[in-house]
Amino acid sequence: MTKPALYPYATILPVMLVVAVFSVYPLLYSVHLSLHENVLTRPLDNDFVGLQNFREVVTGYYFWRSLWSTAVFAVMAVTSVSLYGLGVAMLLNQAVLGSALLKIVVLLPWAIPAVISGIIWRWIFDGDYGVLNGLLLVTGAVDRYVPWMSHPLSARLCMVVAHVWKQGPLAAVFLLAALQVIPAELYDAVRIDGAGRWNGFRFVTLPYLKATLALVLIYETIVAIATFDLVYVMTGGGPADATAIIGWYAYTEIFRFLNLGHGAALAIILGVVLLGLVLVYLRALRAEEPA
Amino acid sequence: MTHMACTRWLVVVSLGLSLLVAVDASPASAQAGGVTLNLVSWSYGVEIVRDNIGKFQQKYPGVTINYSDFSWATYHDAMVARFVSKTPTDVLYSSDHWLQEWAAAGWIVPVDESFPQVRQYLSEYSPFVREALTYKGRIYGTPYYADTFIFVYNADHLQRAGLAAPPATLEELTKQAETIKAKGIAEFPIVLAWGQQDPFSIESFTGLVFAQRNGSLFDKDLNPVFKMPGSAAEKVVTWAADALGAKRILSPTSLQAANVDQIRALQSGAATFGLIPSYSLAVLNDPGQTQQAGKFKIGLMPGESRATVGFIRFYAITSQAQRRGKDVMTAAWNFLDYFGGKTDGEYRVTKRWSLEKGLGFAQTALFADKDIRAAFGKWADVDMLQKQAQLARAKEGMTPYYGTWDVFSRAELHKAYLGQQKPADTLASMAKKWEELKAKAK
Repeated sequence: MTKPALYPYATILPVMLVVAVFSVYPLLYSVHLSLHENVLTRPLDNDFVGLQNFREVVTGYYFWRSLWSTAVFAVMAVTSVSLYGLGVAMLLNQAVLGSALLKIVVLLPWAIPAVISGIIWRWIFDGDYGVLNGLLLVTGAVDRYVPWMSHPLSARLCMVVAHVWKQGPLAAVFLLAALQVIPAELYDAVRIDGAGRWNGFRFVTLPYLKATLALVLIYETIVAIATFDLVYVMTGGGPADATAIIGWYAYTEIFRFLNLGHGAALAIILGVVLLGLVLVYLRALRAEEPA
Repeated sequence: MTHMACTRWLVVVSLGLSLLVAVDASPASAQAGGVTLNLVSWSYGVEIVRDNIGKFQQKYPGVTINYSDFSWATYHDAMVARFVSKTPTDVLYSSDHWLQEWAAAGWIVPVDESFPQVRQYLSEYSPFVREALTYKGRIYGTPYYADTFIFVYNADHLQRAGLAAPPATLEELTKQAETIKAKGIAEFPIVLAWGQQDPFSIESFTGLVFAQRNGSLFDKDLNPVFKMPGSAAEKVVTWAADALGAKRILSPTSLQAANVDQIRALQSGAATFGLIPSYSLAVLNDPGQTQQAGKFKIGLMPGESRATVGFIRFYAITSQAQRRGKDVMTAAWNFLDYFGGKTDGEYRVTKRWSLEKGLGFAQTALFADKDIRAAFGKWADVDMLQKQAQLARAKEGMTPYYGTWDVFSRAELHKAYLGQQKPADTLASMAKKWEELKAKAK
């Protein structure tokens, strides 16, 4: 190999090292952990156990329960984020007075860290001094404070609301970008044909948004499944494990049950599920590309 | 080599050096000629901690304290992350329900092994404190504070409801709460800090179990007696489920509440009865914080035995400090002795916490201290406080796997409170988990 040929490799070497240190090494170490007994309170027992950690995790009480909670949360969150994003995008696509300011206001939550937004929503929903209860009481919608996060169903809904507030703006940005490239002539043609607003949406807007909507749906599914920070700051998995989704379960296994082997096995399972979704996403996108 | 090629290689070398510099950014471990101790605590009275550190450093000029703090609710997890990642930590706060876990993991070391003089203090501690500080016959620290869970009530609410005395049993508590609710004084007269996130929740539950007849969770061989039909635990869980569900006298916010939320609910006058660590009574009766101040009194725990749970938070030394050598260990012991032991013949730091924040203490003799009696007397009936403290017992089931069982149990108890499963099923599930963990630990 000549000296100039080495140059490209040398320039990417630092980046490759960073990737190796922060991505490849943790991944390999996680695989190693998942195949060994690794309970922190028994530091001397580090035997190779093959797939035992995976078997114990999958057959354990938490796995299926957290999987169910994750599925419920993902369906509620993805549906809500997509509808919210679509509605906001269509609103921002109109040339209304103050739309520039509106765009900033709507996009603001996206710039707020998830932990901060979780804390804000925890306070809003607080059963003793939350703003939501205050507003509802003042307007007469409720006659006493409601403990929103003390019931399994309403706690899940609270988390979905916080998730939509945080994730919705990104979906809106994607969809707004797609809306802005739809040729106005198509709507003129639909109008000339005598179709109303609904048919305009159905036969022009929706087909144009299909690829972006697919992207939003799949990306948001991945985000919802991997959600952890909201659970961490809002509910701690409660009440009665109702909001203990799989990311939280992996955290609990490692930091509270001190079982690194189980935690790593769970993280790998979660990673494989997400990888599958990414592949579906890539396939869906490829299907949309012109031949 | 051309000028262009030289420039290119300079870029490569610079990038490489930058990476090396970034990787080598390790924290300073010690100052020249002295010792730096890395101290970690949870975030409580941070300004007092810093002031105490300043005084300690004046007394020991060769020691510098590098201090950081984390919230109480996430402290355990943050410390696990620090231990596993080997983040420099030499002395730290710990709790009796983590002691065995952290000791078994090799994260904290027995203090009396290197500094047998720590044992001189033991005779001055309450029996539950001695038990709670010990693991495999070794002493793991000096007390930061020791406290008990107490039952408190709003005397004004009771008076308005025509109730002459606080409840002595759970049955009486139910009746009084129903009366208060019926008279419109409080919608949910009882509030408890039983949120799934709060490490206090299991202590609060344990206190209520200890208060009942034959109130125990485990026998001396660590068998879970709470699963037995008619156990004190079953009585408490059944009572709580009924109070939350059918009777609606226990605030539903209890299932999301940490201690601070419980205190706010009591301070606002929204609730009448609570179960709190005794130092929180100082906050409840602080006129600067609530209009209800002065109305909160101590009632002995509702139950036939009137017993409660005592708990200890303590200063510990890490195995990292031990590995750093003798000078660091000596500095760490000096820290433990200054903060949790005697300085110039008195428990100076312990007393300061009691006087300024109302924190309880491990040393029974301090109940006779006139300064403490005067300070505590502003917010509590000191004799009553002492009476309840004398009925305090150490937590049972202290093992390296207690923490895991605790986290599991919090969710299981919620299921019973919410009516998702029968109390007996919840307790059976908790017992099964305990047996599983016990078997694995052998």
